[in-house]
Amino acid sequence: MGQLSSPATAPGPAVLERVRTLQRVGVLCGIAAGAWLGAAEVPTKLVTTGISPVLISFAMVAGVFLGRWSLPAMVRGTSGIRADIVEAPHLVIWAIIAGCLWSVANTLTIFAIRDLGLSVAFPLWNTNGLIGILWGVLFFGELHHAGWRRWGAVGGGAAIIFVGGMLLARASSSQIASHVAVRGIAAALGAGVLWGSMYIPYRKAYLSGMNPLSFVSFFTIGELGMMTALAVVYMGGFHNLYRQLSGAQDVLFWLLAAGFVWVIGDIFQQYAVKYIGVSRGIPISNSNQLWGLLWGAVAFGEFRGWQHGAVAGAIWGSVLMALGLAAISFSVVDNSEYLKWVEAAEREHRRYGIDIEFVRSGMEGRASTPPQRRTWLDWMLVAMATGAFVWTGTRAHWPSLALDGTAAIVLLALCLALLAACATALWKVTRFN
Amino acid sequence: MDNEEAIDRPETRAINWLASVSGDVHFWVPTLVLIGGLLLLRWVS
Repeated sequence: MGQLSSPATAPGPAVLERVRTLQRVGVLCGIAAGAWLGAAEVPTKLVTTGISPVLISFAMVAGVFLGRWSLPAMVRGTSGIRADIVEAPHLVIWAIIAGCLWSVANTLTIFAIRDLGLSVAFPLWNTNGLIGILWGVLFFGELHHAGWRRWGAVGGGAAIIFVGGMLLARASSSQIASHVAVRGIAAALGAGVLWGSMYIPYRKAYLSGMNPLSFVSFFTIGELGMMTALAVVYMGGFHNLYRQLSGAQDVLFWLLAAGFVWVIGDIFQQYAVKYIGVSRGIPISNSNQLWGLLWGAVAFGEFRGWQHGAVAGAIWGSVLMALGLAAISFSVVDNSEYLKWVEAAEREHRRYGIDIEFVRSGMEGRASTPPQRRTWLDWMLVAMATGAFVWTGTRAHWPSLALDGTAAIVLLALCLALLAACATALWKVTRFN
Repeated sequence: MDNEEAIDRPETRAINWLASVSGDVHFWVPTLVLIGGLLLLRWVS
């Protein structure tokens, strides 16, 4: 049986240098993911304009579906996606489960935002990073043989995140009726557990050599399927869903756009998980908490009307959580821990009979097959997604929300700068593999 | 020889594949969390 590398032997200098480069790219991807995932939550503020939370979630997932087929088709082509799935067909099951988890978690966050507000709900569901660390350690050999310093950084970071989350929960409960706060906190923490567990399929896929752009294409089938089922059940049938969608035509574009923006953040998050693991990639990308705080406080003025002590609590809570995340993020993987990742990849190779070259090249950010040409199907997917955005865009009206335009433009410019930097790095180092 | 031929048959491969998935803890943990999430959603909504 071929092996990725012997567990008893350290990888060669060339492989180690490659791994270090990939880790730097992974950290950059995590930072860009944080910015874009944070920006994607902004349109969910529409929940305060009287639209059903389930309808908002459904429309966002429709935007996500458009993004998750059109972007991979444009960047890599559907032929490349097909080639990946032939190598590891069992991963379709995990992609669909992950998509279902995403939809339920996203719907829970809409309820949490409604009850708690964006700037408080955000850090609570970002406890998903802690859940992700737990699964990364238990199932994928992350932090094994990592040494007491790295464990200290991760354990200390986790403790700080917990304290920060508690501060934010206290700040929220002092401003909101207690029964609403309990429901909102339960929804936000529940979303955290679901999203944290969604990283099991992510990590499994990338240790198996799967390309992130292929994985998200099937992920979104579970996502749209689950969300459609939820929308039909909670809104009383297809007819009601259609009626409410028709009635929300003027804001549909913004919700589709939110889904699309989320896809950009999510794709970067997938690359971060691939190259630095769940236990580091998710905490870094959870810097979307800070972006959520910035959007909520600066662009939407959410803190207006709050008492001084509550605002201070929310700010200190967010700063503590960010410090905890930074401590976790900068505990880099050393050789012995990387060998544990290799062992976890070997488990997938043995259990599911995946081609060893596919697994190895995936872990090293190289293509296992030559680049595929774009086909008519790829361009058709891009054209359909563009058409959907243009059609809803012509019917869109600016929602009646108080928004600081200058602050919004500055935040958007920062997101675009990170997008450019990250896409360039990914192309140069991995050709999006 | 007989065993190898049996393993190579499509129906045997499918059974092995399903057995690998259903015996994989990586499958059951997210599945159970999903069920819990649906119950929580029912409560908060």
